[in-house]
Amino acid sequence: MKRVYLDHASATPVREEVIEAMLPYFDRHFGNPSTVYDMGIKIKQVIEEQRAKVAKLISAKQQEIIFTSSGAEANNLAIKGVALARQKKGKHIIISAIEHHSVLNSARFFERMDFEVTFLPVDEYGLVDPGRLSRAIRSDTILVSIMHANNEIGTIQPISELSAICRDKGVLFHTDAVASVGNISVDVNALNVDLLSLSGVSIGAPKGIGVLYFRNNLRLMPLIHGGIQESGRRGGTENVPGIVGLGKASELALSELTDKIDYLQELRNLLVAGIQERIESVKLTGHPDRRLPGHASFCIEAIEGEALIYMLNQEGICANTGSACASKALKTSPVLVAIGTPPDLAQGSIVFTMDSSNKIEEIEYVLEKLCLAVEKLRSLSPLWRREEGK
Amino acid sequence: MYSEKVMEHFSNPRNAGVIENADGIGEVGNPVCGDMMAFYIKVKDDKLTDVKFKTFGCVAAIAVSNIVSEMAKGKTLQEAKSITKKTVAKALDGLPKEKMHCSNLGAKALAEAIKDYEKKKYG
Amino acid sequence: MKFVEKQPADDTLDLVCRMCPLHLLEPGDKLKCLKKGQVLEVLTDYDGALEDIPEWCQKYGQEFMGIEEDEDCYKLYIKKVK
Repeated sequence: MKRVYLDHASATPVREEVIEAMLPYFDRHFGNPSTVYDMGIKIKQVIEEQRAKVAKLISAKQQEIIFTSSGAEANNLAIKGVALARQKKGKHIIISAIEHHSVLNSARFFERMDFEVTFLPVDEYGLVDPGRLSRAIRSDTILVSIMHANNEIGTIQPISELSAICRDKGVLFHTDAVASVGNISVDVNALNVDLLSLSGVSIGAPKGIGVLYFRNNLRLMPLIHGGIQESGRRGGTENVPGIVGLGKASELALSELTDKIDYLQELRNLLVAGIQERIESVKLTGHPDRRLPGHASFCIEAIEGEALIYMLNQEGICANTGSACASKALKTSPVLVAIGTPPDLAQGSIVFTMDSSNKIEEIEYVLEKLCLAVEKLRSLSPLWRREEGK
Repeated sequence: MYSEKVMEHFSNPRNAGVIENADGIGEVGNPVCGDMMAFYIKVKDDKLTDVKFKTFGCVAAIAVSNIVSEMAKGKTLQEAKSITKKTVAKALDGLPKEKMHCSNLGAKALAEAIKDYEKKKYG
Repeated sequence: MKFVEKQPADDTLDLVCRMCPLHLLEPGDKLKCLKKGQVLEVLTDYDGALEDIPEWCQKYGQEFMGIEEDEDCYKLYIKKVK
C-alpha cells in the first residue's frame, strides 16, 4: 500500500544529499573534534563550516549559533539559561498560552523557584495581542518567549511587532521557530529577536540536532556543563554527523525556500478547499491567511480525532490530531482550548502538514479517503444528526 | 498500541446503529471528555435479541462498543449483566492502560440500557 | 591582587556563566584581534579566574593590569604587550 505522509510537522524525511554528506563522519572522519591531531582539527573546522551554513539560513552571525540535541533542548537553554543568568535582575517570565511543552514546562519549572510566569492568552486565531504583551511587561520581567508559528494551528505571530515592544522595555525576546524555519523566511534581524530555537527534524536533517541562536554574546547559564564544546555553553562531544546533516539541510532549505512556499500554498489551498467543499460542519483552526504555507488544520464535528487518524492510517495516510484520546495523558490540546474551541469539537481535531515531497495527486487521494472516513465515523456517532433528505 | 482484535472490531463495527422502539436505551459518557456511547437493546423472553450502539470516541471506544454488543447479543439479561470492564478488555486481548476506561464505559452503557428496560417493565 | 577602578578598555570578553577552562582559552583569541597597547576587559563570575588569569598573563608575557569587582561579576584587565 502506498504511503501518503502529511505529518511533516512531526518529522521530515532526510534527503539523499544530506545522508551522503553525513556518511563519511561515521567511519572515515570519526574523530573527536576536541583532539589535537589532524583528524580532530579537520573535523572542528568542518563543524565551524556547518555553523556558518546554519547562521546563513537565519541571517545570523556564525558565533551566534549553539548546536543542541533538539529544538526542545534549545528552548530549555533559552528559558533556563536566561532565567538563571538574569535572576538578580528580575524573576518574571512571559510566555504565550500556546507554546510547545518544552517552553511551557521550562517556564513552569521556575515557578517552583519563586519566579512568576504570565501566560498570555491568544485570540480565536491563536494570535498574541501586542497591547496585551506591553501591559504584561513589568520592571522585573527578564524574558518573553512567543513561538514564531504554531505546529497545531499553523498561525504565524507578528514577531517583529512583539519583539519591538520588548526591546523598547529592555526585555529579552525568545522565539521557538521550530515550526517556521524551512517553511517561511526566518531572519533574526527582521524578527529582531534575542534568541531563537530551531530543529533539524523540521528541515530534512536527522533527529538529534537542534540550534539555539543567541544575539551578541548574551549571557546564558549552560545547562550541560562540560568541556570547551560550543565555547563552554553546551558541553558534550559534538554530534558531528548530525551537525553536518543540519548544515547541508540548511543550505538546501535556504536555496529552495521561495519555490517551496509557492508550491506548499498550492497544495494546502487545494486540500482546504476540498475539505470545506466536500465535508460539512468542519472548522478551519488557526488564522486563514497568517499561517504556515503547507499547514491545514481542522476540527470536524461529531467525530473523534484518534479514530480518524487510525482510519486514515489504514489507507496509508499519516496525519496528526490534537484530540484528547490521542494524547497519552488524555488531555485536550491546550492550543485548541486557548483559541476557544468548544471541548467536544476539539476532539475532532486533524492536522495535515505538507512538504515539497508531497504531490498534487496525493491531495486528491487524501480528500477521497478523508471523506469516506468522516462519513463512516459520523454514521457511528450519536452526535451526528442528519436532516432528512440530505 | 492496539491488539489485532481491537483493530478488527474498530474496522468492522457490525452492530453500529439504532433500534427504533428499543426496549432499553443506555447513554453514558460525555463528548467533552472524548467518549460517548449509546446502547439500544431489544429484549424477548428475558434474552437480548438485538443490541446496537452509537459511539463517539477513539479506536478503543468503538472497538469496545462493538465487542460488548456482540458479547451481549443472544445472552440472557443475567448473563449480560456479568459483562464487566475486565471481561471486555480480556475479550479484546487487552487494552492500553490509558484506554481501560473505555472498557468500563462500554460495560456501563450496556448496564444502563438493561436498567432502562427493567425500569420501563417493572417501574 | 591589584585593584583598578573605572579602567577604560578597547574590547570586552564576557565569560559570565561560562566555566573553566574558557577563561584561559578565549582571552588569548580576543587579544589577537587587538593592537599592542590596547586593553581587554574580561568579565567572569568564576573565582578560579582571579588566580588563573594573572598567571596566564605572566606565562604569555601580557600585562595584567588589575581587577574591579562589579555587581554580578569580576572585571579583569589585560593590556596587550606582545
